[in-house]
Amino acid sequence: MKETTSAGNMSQVVIVMASAISPSELQKHLGRFISEFPVVNGSIGRDINICPYWKMPGKTEGKLNFTSHTCPDEGDLWAVLSTCANEPFKDDREHLAFHHVNTKSQKSCLAMSFDHRLLDARGAESFLGLFQQYLESNSGPAVSSGVALSGPAHLSEWMKKFLAGRNVNRKIIALSEHPLAALPVPDGKKKEFGYRLIRFDQQETQTIYENAYRTAGYLMESPYLLSVIMQAVDGLFEKRKAEQGSYLAAVSVDMRTSEDIKQELFFNHVSYLFFQAHRGIVNNRKELVHSIKMQMYDQIKSGVPRDIMEASHLTRIAPLSFFKKIIDGPLKGKIATFIFSHVSKNPLAPELMGAKIEDVFHMPRVPVPPGLGFFSNYFNGRLNLVISYLEGLMGDDEVDVLEKELTDRMLGRDK
Amino acid sequence: MTLQDIQNTLVQGIASITSKDQASVSVDVPFHELGIDSLGFVEILVFIEKTFKLQLIESGLDKKDFATIHSLASFLHKKL
Repeated sequence: MKETTSAGNMSQVVIVMASAISPSELQKHLGRFISEFPVVNGSIGRDINICPYWKMPGKTEGKLNFTSHTCPDEGDLWAVLSTCANEPFKDDREHLAFHHVNTKSQKSCLAMSFDHRLLDARGAESFLGLFQQYLESNSGPAVSSGVALSGPAHLSEWMKKFLAGRNVNRKIIALSEHPLAALPVPDGKKKEFGYRLIRFDQQETQTIYENAYRTAGYLMESPYLLSVIMQAVDGLFEKRKAEQGSYLAAVSVDMRTSEDIKQELFFNHVSYLFFQAHRGIVNNRKELVHSIKMQMYDQIKSGVPRDIMEASHLTRIAPLSFFKKIIDGPLKGKIATFIFSHVSKNPLAPELMGAKIEDVFHMPRVPVPPGLGFFSNYFNGRLNLVISYLEGLMGDDEVDVLEKELTDRMLGRDK
Repeated sequence: MTLQDIQNTLVQGIASITSKDQASVSVDVPFHELGIDSLGFVEILVFIEKTFKLQLIESGLDKKDFATIHSLASFLHKKL
């Protein structure tokens, strides 16, 4: 159940640099930087309280999980990064791991694996942005000042949380009225993830954003990207001749504004919007985009993301076996067809330790079920899209088809 | 409502949605330069519906209507 409830979930943010950097220097700087933040060595505490909380040590233990790899063949880089993304944390007190990779062509990567309880995707990028500031300040004034190291527990106002829980419950019941299309989760305890990265250059990205404006409207990139992904997933189900059902996408949304994130960097501030599409309308892009926009509007108007955020605090006091009963019972073992996240802004400076940053992308381990996720981010005028899937959920040929479908549809080649 | 009243109300709402001081919300800057994404944009549309009783999500608005807070206020002023 840990994978489903996010309690055991992790992700990885990768920075690709145009030149090599010294692993020993990087490790030294990271060690000093991390020592400013005892929160990263925290653990779940409960003591005599009914609700668990984040228990922080008085000072950092100075432990840094850092590994350095050399990649003689450029083609092996993705495999190395995928292995890093699948490496579990050593114990319950470890929530960050750093991997450095130098390639034969003198490029380098910094991959930071992070526990989703400590950081979410934007928080992780901002944390690395703070590391850049720390390097710039030459280890000067404490870089941690101004960052909220211990957020309020938010475990007061119980009635408000129970009412939010009731609203979420009603939403789940409404969504579960229609049979849900989802890929069957493979048996077995091995839970490794496979990844594919689709990179769009600046010209292609501009084309995608123009398509988004023309099809979905001003500042409506997310609904447009979701519609394209839904159509590509539909193609996969069509090929499998899978049983009929509607698609349900769980889309993560950051509840912080770009101003809030400067202080609320740690812990998870993500909530969800849910988008349902009956298979009959998925092939009609215009109708699909309209449906997604209206669902987004209605959910924000009725406060769904806020209710989910509030109600999720209740999950802290519920045992994992309770969630298993809900998922196996009313939800019939299915939560969503896939998960989608889009990070539209990036807080990173152009260089890290003197090396120009060429690219940034995320490699999340998606909750299981559904075990299938799409993560897009915008960096330096370019769009990246990562497919993340539980090994065994799809065959390599199916991932190839999905990758091609996504690329063609994003660029409008599917007409 | 005067154009100025509408503009002031929009600034208040957008400052609240973006967690910015009202003084730092310029009425002459495009929305995407205010750090607003799809989610924030829909929140603004919901704010407009709740405040001015106008639903704009499918009203055929384009970039020029949202060029700035000032141009949006002018658009709303004509509609009200």
